[in-house]
Amino acid sequence: MDQKNFIVAIVLSVLIIVGWQSFFPTKHTTPPPAPVTQAVPGAPAATPGTAPGVGTAPPAAPGAAPAAVAETFVARPEALAKSPRVTFTTPELLGSISLKGGRIDDVQLAKHRETLDPKSDPVPVLSPLGSEHPYYAEFGWSASDKALALPGPDTMWTADKPTLAPGQPVKLSWDNGQNLTFVLAISIDDHFMFDVKQSVENKSDKPVTLFPWGLVIRYGQPKAEGTYVLHEGPYGVFNGSLKEFGYSDFKGNKQQKMETTGGWVGITDKYWMATLVPDQKIKTDVSIKQTGSDTEPKYQIDYVAPGLSIAPGATGDNDQHLFAGAKIVKVIDDYREKYGIERFDLTIDWGWFSFFTKPLFWLLEWLYAQIGNFGLAIMALTVLVKAAFFPLANKSYAAMSKMKRLQPEMEKLKQRYGEDKQRMNQELMQLYRREKVNPAAGCLPIVVQIPVFFALYKVLYTTIEMRHQPFFGWIKDLSAPDPLTILTGFGLVQWNVPEFLHFFNIGLWPLFMGVTMFLQQKLNPAPTDPVQARVFQFLPIMFTFMMAPFSAGLVIYWAWSNTLSIGQQYFIMKRHGAPVGKQAVPAAALPATPPPADKKPNKTKPKKG
Amino acid sequence: MTCLARLAPTPANRQFPGRMMSFALPSLLLRGAIRLYQLTLAYFFVGACRYEPSCSAYAAEAVMVHGALRGTLLAAHRFCRCAPWGQGGFDPVPAPRVTAGRAGLSCQSARRA
Repeated sequence: MDQKNFIVAIVLSVLIIVGWQSFFPTKHTTPPPAPVTQAVPGAPAATPGTAPGVGTAPPAAPGAAPAAVAETFVARPEALAKSPRVTFTTPELLGSISLKGGRIDDVQLAKHRETLDPKSDPVPVLSPLGSEHPYYAEFGWSASDKALALPGPDTMWTADKPTLAPGQPVKLSWDNGQNLTFVLAISIDDHFMFDVKQSVENKSDKPVTLFPWGLVIRYGQPKAEGTYVLHEGPYGVFNGSLKEFGYSDFKGNKQQKMETTGGWVGITDKYWMATLVPDQKIKTDVSIKQTGSDTEPKYQIDYVAPGLSIAPGATGDNDQHLFAGAKIVKVIDDYREKYGIERFDLTIDWGWFSFFTKPLFWLLEWLYAQIGNFGLAIMALTVLVKAAFFPLANKSYAAMSKMKRLQPEMEKLKQRYGEDKQRMNQELMQLYRREKVNPAAGCLPIVVQIPVFFALYKVLYTTIEMRHQPFFGWIKDLSAPDPLTILTGFGLVQWNVPEFLHFFNIGLWPLFMGVTMFLQQKLNPAPTDPVQARVFQFLPIMFTFMMAPFSAGLVIYWAWSNTLSIGQQYFIMKRHGAPVGKQAVPAAALPATPPPADKKPNKTKPKKG
Repeated sequence: MTCLARLAPTPANRQFPGRMMSFALPSLLLRGAIRLYQLTLAYFFVGACRYEPSCSAYAAEAVMVHGALRGTLLAAHRFCRCAPWGQGGFDPVPAPRVTAGRAGLSCQSARRA
């Protein structure tokens, strides 16, 4: 009867889950490729700041020219061809700098592809105007004096060489016709950092005050994967503290302004980002805003440095960095050291438990360096965790074996004293003493595995180091779910499984994990609470469904961890002669219970521990 | 209707005769949460307990007998006592300190809350 109810309950829950998914399909935030508005070349929108009369108040950094004409986008190479360019190829980057506007607007990751196919496109970090999703960085100057001609989005710069390479910086220059020469000296390294040194040489006969700025603009809201687990969007460290924003925080062209000394401001995706790093010693005004419209938003992050008063004959300059690339942990940490960037490590979202997640990542990366496969490194990590708690777990399993052997006798006790809990417990304790059952190790050895599991989940989800990392056989990407799923006939039939069936689309590794859970349950003693016992019988199935959408690496960890536990437990139980599996020792085979001593219940004092 | 517990005796108040049980909302919610844990996550702790009753059963009983606040404190104390180097064994929820007469009072205050 109870069993029947339980099955009905399970069927109902499954129906609810499936029904929910078909009625409320997961919304995708990105609209289909829509016509992209392209900024029309025009005068730089150098809008003077709040107090233009006083030369010291910084004007705001300009954004994309507001006047816009709807235009459909073109393919990346075509968009790139619209302007003369300085190209660069480094071990990690492919790209170019537009001489029109002096924009860094073409950066692709040489070592990271869009999909598992090595022939797929390299991942774009920055893209030019006119392409599907323009995303670029610009550096310039503002002035309170409106008569000054300043370089803008349409300015044609002159480069001193056609290509840029690590150790061979390029110098873009432009003369404004008013005896001011503007220079952008851009250099790159072997990874993802651009050093941009802006300078102005004043050859006129009067001093000028200029406010250097840097900005990053991104057109359109990218599809964020799972913002509950990981932050994606604009963020930065301002005066030492991290602030994270969602794209939707700026809906209705809202704006956030911060004043900071040191730190950085950027826009991040899960694995890559474009981040401005101003000179760490100067006080800057940072703003993050949306421009355009809510349907065709542009997100802009910018900062304005304090004004430079440049005397006649003098040169004023401003040095800054732009990170445009993959958030590789070691690279990020090295940049933090090398350039003294305040809290640059926070560009990677390690979450609240970074004090644990990050060391686990280091350990995993070290194991990877020794073994050469991240899947094996995860397995080795599991062995280390198990080894650390091996003696404690042994103790627990020994206790468990004895308990399991005593189960029939306990049943007898329960039948005799079931009504009187106190008495029952006393009898139980006597039984334990007689049979020399030591208390189990407690839940600590199990509890410590929870943070390991969580940290591994976070590391697999967050770090680019895990992206597209293969295991053996069909697992080509440990950070993605197992691709060989039931509904594709384990890879035999390739079809697009409809969304409402995803819940049932379980991969091979999750199935194997479910089997290990089931086997482990067979070794464990059944819980004394009958409802609990019945519910637990179904939990391996529930967990199989629940774990199926998770990254293969995590499922492999769990399955492997269970396998190790089962081995250890099986060995210990055999040694203690506990019944393994279902066959229980007949109650008659056990020594008879001595007549229960008559004690008054209610007086037993709890043992102090 | 002095107290629900008198109408529906349970093993717990048979264990501590004269003691009322807490049916106030906080204690009910806590016990619901404990039950949810017992039917899900407790799965991973089968057979690991050093104490009888287990921490979750102890907590449920403590909250029922002593109310949400004192019950939670007792449960927390019990949880902290469970360590591989510590003791183990039979460790029931202590009997309430109050007498039957005062228990009636606390029952009323529970209803008001």
